[in-house]
Amino acid sequence: MINLYFRKLTNILLCICLCFFMLLLTGCWDRTEINDLALVLGTGIDKTDDNKIQLSVQLSIPKAMGGTQQGTGGGGSGKPTIVKKATGSTIYDAMSRLQEKVSRKIFWGHNRVVIFGEALAKDGIRKDIDFFARHPEPRLRAYTFVSTGKAIDILEVIPELERSSAEIARELANFKIGMSVTVKDLLQMLNSGADSAALPWLEINPTEGLRVNGTAVFKKDKMKGSINDKLTRGLLWLRDDVHLATVTIEPKNTKGSISFNLLRSKTKLVPKIVDGKWQMIAKITTEDDAVENDTALNLMDPKIVKDLEKQLAQRINQRIRMTLNLVQKDMRIDVFGFGEAFHRKYPNEWEKVKGHWSEKFPEIEVKIDSKAHIRRPGMSTEPQGIPKNEVKK
Amino acid sequence: MLKRSWRKSEKGRKMQKTEYEKKEQDSLSNSFNNNVQNLRDIYKNCSDVVFRPFFIAGKGKAILVYIEGLANTEEIDDNVLSPLMQESTEYDDIKTLLKKRIAVSNVKELATFSDCVDQISIGNPVILIDGRATGFSLDLSKWEQRSVEEPSAEQVIRGPREGFIETLQVNSSMLRRKIRSPEFKMQAMEVGRYTKTKVIIAYMDGIVNKTLLEEVNNRLKRIDIDGVLESGIIEEFIEDNPYSPFPQLLTTERPDVAAANLLEGRVVIMVDGTPFVMIAPTTLYSFFQSNEDYYSRFLIASLIRWLRYFLVVMSLLLPSLYVAVLTFHQEMLPTTLIISVAASREQVPFPALVEALIMEITFEALREAGLRLPKQVGSAVSIVGALVIGESAVQAGIISAPMVIVVSFTGIASFTIPRYSAAIAIRMLRFPMIFLAGTLGLLGIMLGIITIIVHLCTLRSFGVPYLSPMAPMNASGMKDVLIRAPWWSLRTRPHFTGGYNRYRQPPDQKPGPKKGKEK
Repeated sequence: MINLYFRKLTNILLCICLCFFMLLLTGCWDRTEINDLALVLGTGIDKTDDNKIQLSVQLSIPKAMGGTQQGTGGGGSGKPTIVKKATGSTIYDAMSRLQEKVSRKIFWGHNRVVIFGEALAKDGIRKDIDFFARHPEPRLRAYTFVSTGKAIDILEVIPELERSSAEIARELANFKIGMSVTVKDLLQMLNSGADSAALPWLEINPTEGLRVNGTAVFKKDKMKGSINDKLTRGLLWLRDDVHLATVTIEPKNTKGSISFNLLRSKTKLVPKIVDGKWQMIAKITTEDDAVENDTALNLMDPKIVKDLEKQLAQRINQRIRMTLNLVQKDMRIDVFGFGEAFHRKYPNEWEKVKGHWSEKFPEIEVKIDSKAHIRRPGMSTEPQGIPKNEVKK
Repeated sequence: MLKRSWRKSEKGRKMQKTEYEKKEQDSLSNSFNNNVQNLRDIYKNCSDVVFRPFFIAGKGKAILVYIEGLANTEEIDDNVLSPLMQESTEYDDIKTLLKKRIAVSNVKELATFSDCVDQISIGNPVILIDGRATGFSLDLSKWEQRSVEEPSAEQVIRGPREGFIETLQVNSSMLRRKIRSPEFKMQAMEVGRYTKTKVIIAYMDGIVNKTLLEEVNNRLKRIDIDGVLESGIIEEFIEDNPYSPFPQLLTTERPDVAAANLLEGRVVIMVDGTPFVMIAPTTLYSFFQSNEDYYSRFLIASLIRWLRYFLVVMSLLLPSLYVAVLTFHQEMLPTTLIISVAASREQVPFPALVEALIMEITFEALREAGLRLPKQVGSAVSIVGALVIGESAVQAGIISAPMVIVVSFTGIASFTIPRYSAAIAIRMLRFPMIFLAGTLGLLGIMLGIITIIVHLCTLRSFGVPYLSPMAPMNASGMKDVLIRAPWWSLRTRPHFTGGYNRYRQPPDQKPGPKKGKEK
């Protein structure tokens, strides 16, 4: 009986002791209060003249940024963000210099945007992207951009609608009007056999603020050139990345134009090797709604719609051809993912051309097989604002 | 030192019998004077005990003993004293007199003093008669009692509005009114050396597990205590794991809840002097079920059950999750949210852990104060409390606004748990969870959850696993845990308590046109 009682007591004492020892554990070591953090919203990476890296970060100022101000603090007092910069031989090196200037711990967990300066991009981004893949804090889901001029200038833009310029860049990437590439996508592109990448091109327009204007095209990790907005559309069609698109056509045999809003589109790349000739068939199916019609065509007429569908498909073909001409023939950079497609379907043949893909790539014959469907004529049936008898049947 | 304390407790085990207990053991003697003297000795210095000597039919010496306020004096005068004292009454044998003259329904013959004391103490007057070695008790007790009201701790929108009261007889009659079958049994026993509190074990013969009944009986018999003032005292003596924060007996004030549990094969323990009856065995899920679940329509009842499960988890984890995310895992919140939170925390001087603890303690203090204070002051407390922990603390920059939201939501969530004893257990566990979250982050929360789940798995209530029917899994039991299945599909009784008499009702009682051909 006494023994049992003793054992129970020692057990309880032991438990209490263990609980006390737990307080000595190093559980708290990475505990940081949220008001000791400086949240990085966007990162800019530039090259300095002496071949070092200039890291610039956009930090949020919670006092000015957070919803309702407490007490008497008037809204909109002061900037919501600050930009700090430092130079170093690597990003982390630069960051530790940066930390010397910032009173709070720099926290990358909320970094949503990585912007490479033009000069750096031309020099190669491989060694800088490693930090974002290796360090545990930055997210792989951050969007990447290449900026005209210096990246820090983009971060320093004070926006009108959003709370920070990084947020603008992120929202623009979210819309997927142009390319939208996350760090993870970028890593995948660089790792694929095609050895190329495409990043959205971000520029500052003095009157309109930030704008995604075209695409920067990378060979290996070096930027080789850029294509404009229009050609980017063709690139998106081929990469099956079109989400928000407006296509306007000017139908034959009539005045005016019709705008279509893209509902959904699907692109399938079908690689083929026939008698040693490499072919790529791009099968594109799009569904569109008519949203504006200033011609006299009656969109309720199935015949007219059939005709329009053909013209729409042709229009898309043209766009893609334009892009192919420039990127495939002139630049000779495979940003469309052709290499991946061949690699999957013809692994053996791929092994042979892998080493000189950039020479093989321009030779590939691309066939575009696009189909367009006009699903809805919109809210009104006949063309509006013209007398009935002028409506073309 | 340990040994000494051990010896001390050993001493306490041998309780000496009181002088009174020795006296009470004796049986009544033939000497009337001796008997009266003994009773007077037993009730020495009891000003409320009345000794009323009188002569039966003017000849036989007799004495009437009763307690003022417990016995119905009007009835005694009319039905006992006046017929017996009339000179015209023939002085017969007392037994025939009782049959002929005394219009009292329940008369008992008593052989010992302890019998007499028992009867007197529950309010029945006792007559001792010259020349007889037995006394007679007359069932003429009457005392003041609270009227039957709706229990304030278990309100319902739909359902019976009566609640148990402090008188055991009334309570058992309420149950009997609900279950009229003679298979509804009630065994009575007495617990408490001084209080001699009547305890009733109620069960359904034919449904209840016999071994369970035996176990309840044994555990109750083991209790040797000087007084039982509330069922909670008995609860601590008979529960399986006294150190667990979780209650292992369901308490209720409602006859309908007790009756429903009886029909599921559980045992109800009723204690005189309290409106709270205990139900054994109990599982964790029964604490999150309200009796109204079974009266409202099953779709709504099922949804509300899910809401409750969610809120139970919230009331246990929300503050600790908030602390963990804010101090360790800032990347888990959406950017805009974290910026808003950061902005509100700009001026707060404390770490999130301390902030959470301050707020939770303040909240618990307010709750406790509101509970104990007289109703007139209660509203003042709530006004002051709302101002202190709401507006002012935030404006002064001591507490951040999101923390106030978290704590108040947690408070509301904990109030949605229908059984107060379970709600308070979860509220208590919240504090260690906050500590774990503040020191080890989400890892600590996971550790805490694992510990709680392991503990719940080891718990048993009268041999029934506490997490049943979830663990061990019993598919048909899920009908009353995950959802509240419609009554016509709730065919079986709970596995562990109703195993002997499994089926509640025949199948195919779903309303609607008959399936198949009509004969």
